[in-house]
Amino acid sequence: MIVILGFFVFLLIFGISIYNSLILKRNQAVSAFSAIDVMLKKRFDLIPNLVELVKQYINHEQGTLTKIAELRSKATSGGVTDNEKTSLDAELSRAVKGLMVTVENYPDLKANTNFLNLQTTWTESEEQIAAARRTYNAVVTDYNNTIMTFPRNLFAGMLGFTKTDVLATPEEERKNISAKELFNN
Amino acid sequence: MNSEINHIAGFQEALNTLEIDRKIISKNRKLSNIITGLAFITAVIWLIIKFHTLVLLGFFFVYGIIRSAIRIKTENDIQKYKAVYKTNIVTPALKNVNENLVFTPQSGISDCEFISSELFTTRPDRCNSQDLITGTIDETSFYFAEVHAEYKIESENKKHTKWYNIFKGIVFIADFNKNFSTSTVVRPKNALDDISSWLSKNILSFGNTDKVQLENIEFDSKFVTYSKNQIEARYILTPAMMERILALNRKSDETISISFIDSKMYIAFPLSHNYFEAPISTSLLVPDLLKADLSIVQFMQDIVHELDLNTRIWGKE
Repeated sequence: MIVILGFFVFLLIFGISIYNSLILKRNQAVSAFSAIDVMLKKRFDLIPNLVELVKQYINHEQGTLTKIAELRSKATSGGVTDNEKTSLDAELSRAVKGLMVTVENYPDLKANTNFLNLQTTWTESEEQIAAARRTYNAVVTDYNNTIMTFPRNLFAGMLGFTKTDVLATPEEERKNISAKELFNN
Repeated sequence: MNSEINHIAGFQEALNTLEIDRKIISKNRKLSNIITGLAFITAVIWLIIKFHTLVLLGFFFVYGIIRSAIRIKTENDIQKYKAVYKTNIVTPALKNVNENLVFTPQSGISDCEFISSELFTTRPDRCNSQDLITGTIDETSFYFAEVHAEYKIESENKKHTKWYNIFKGIVFIADFNKNFSTSTVVRPKNALDDISSWLSKNILSFGNTDKVQLENIEFDSKFVTYSKNQIEARYILTPAMMERILALNRKSDETISISFIDSKMYIAFPLSHNYFEAPISTSLLVPDLLKADLSIVQFMQDIVHELDLNTRIWGKE
């Protein structure tokens, strides 16, 4: 009798422990995704200053600047989904990268202290976003492993925990291009 | 490298002068050993021919006085000789490696800094550090020193104390080129880490939330990374940085430990050799006298380039 009771107590503790760990890991994934969001917002906030500053020095790149401003306002508007925001960010990154190449032809702008500060902050945010993405992917992989392996998959299935997709690594990050190259080409 | 050193003004003269002192010290040491040998022979003769015990004690008394006098003189001479060696020989040789290097033999890394580096989990009861070398390469300042940290275990009645090594080697410290607020520590992985990690994940369903699982498989198999901020840990340990750390680790005989704390990077290299010490039983005039010392200094300052610490594009001045 005691053995059977002990077995059920063990089963109960084991079940609670698994349930808690599943909730913890799912919450970690949500929190990791919000961290990317915070980083993206920080980067989007740099855009108005960048556009204003570049405008003063470069007259015939208005098209690029308008595009960057538009992408930024789209990304920060309320109705954008997470996936759309990620792709808008990728597009924005490409546009800013193109702008930085153009800046190479304007020595006065390149030497401007405010511009240099913006450059370093932009670079910093690039790597912070990459770190946040990597964290998200690590947390999601851990979560997916947990819900797909025995015996937790039994509990996860019953409790409605489903697999989450990892973020696709942008081509730049896969090639491991350093932020330094971004501004030195 | 040594042929370049020999061209430093006054270097060869300093070596020749110091070699005379070394020979005297070496001779006195031999003399001290001969007296010990004589005392032993006298004791053996006493056992064989049984002459008067008082005569034996008289011999011992004379040997003792002569040996002590030689010993005290030699010890003083050794201290002086070692200090002169570091000032007149090692210091100019280091300048030949890098003009910016400053050698302070009596200084080291403070106990407080060693503990706050979080490189090791055991708190030392005794920590000796010496031979501090400081320098800068472009915008990165760095320093390193020999450190020997130990902890003690006392017997129950506190009569016997045994000392155990926590770390013996060189600790290298440099300005890190990124801003961060939480500490990140990278320690060598051992079998226990693997077992505890597997148990916590698969059986107990909880894990050390400070552990950072990184995507570089080789890095994760060699090290365990701890940080209270997972994103910041990955901001520091980029894929490129992990590769650079692995490359640096391959050059070390034993696995290194690294920490990133308060804008600084700490690296502990476990080493058994005691560097920058003057030889006593071998000549100072051998061609590869400073080879090992200068190689380790070159290795340490090359870390700045190898880990790309001079790249200042992340807002840190």
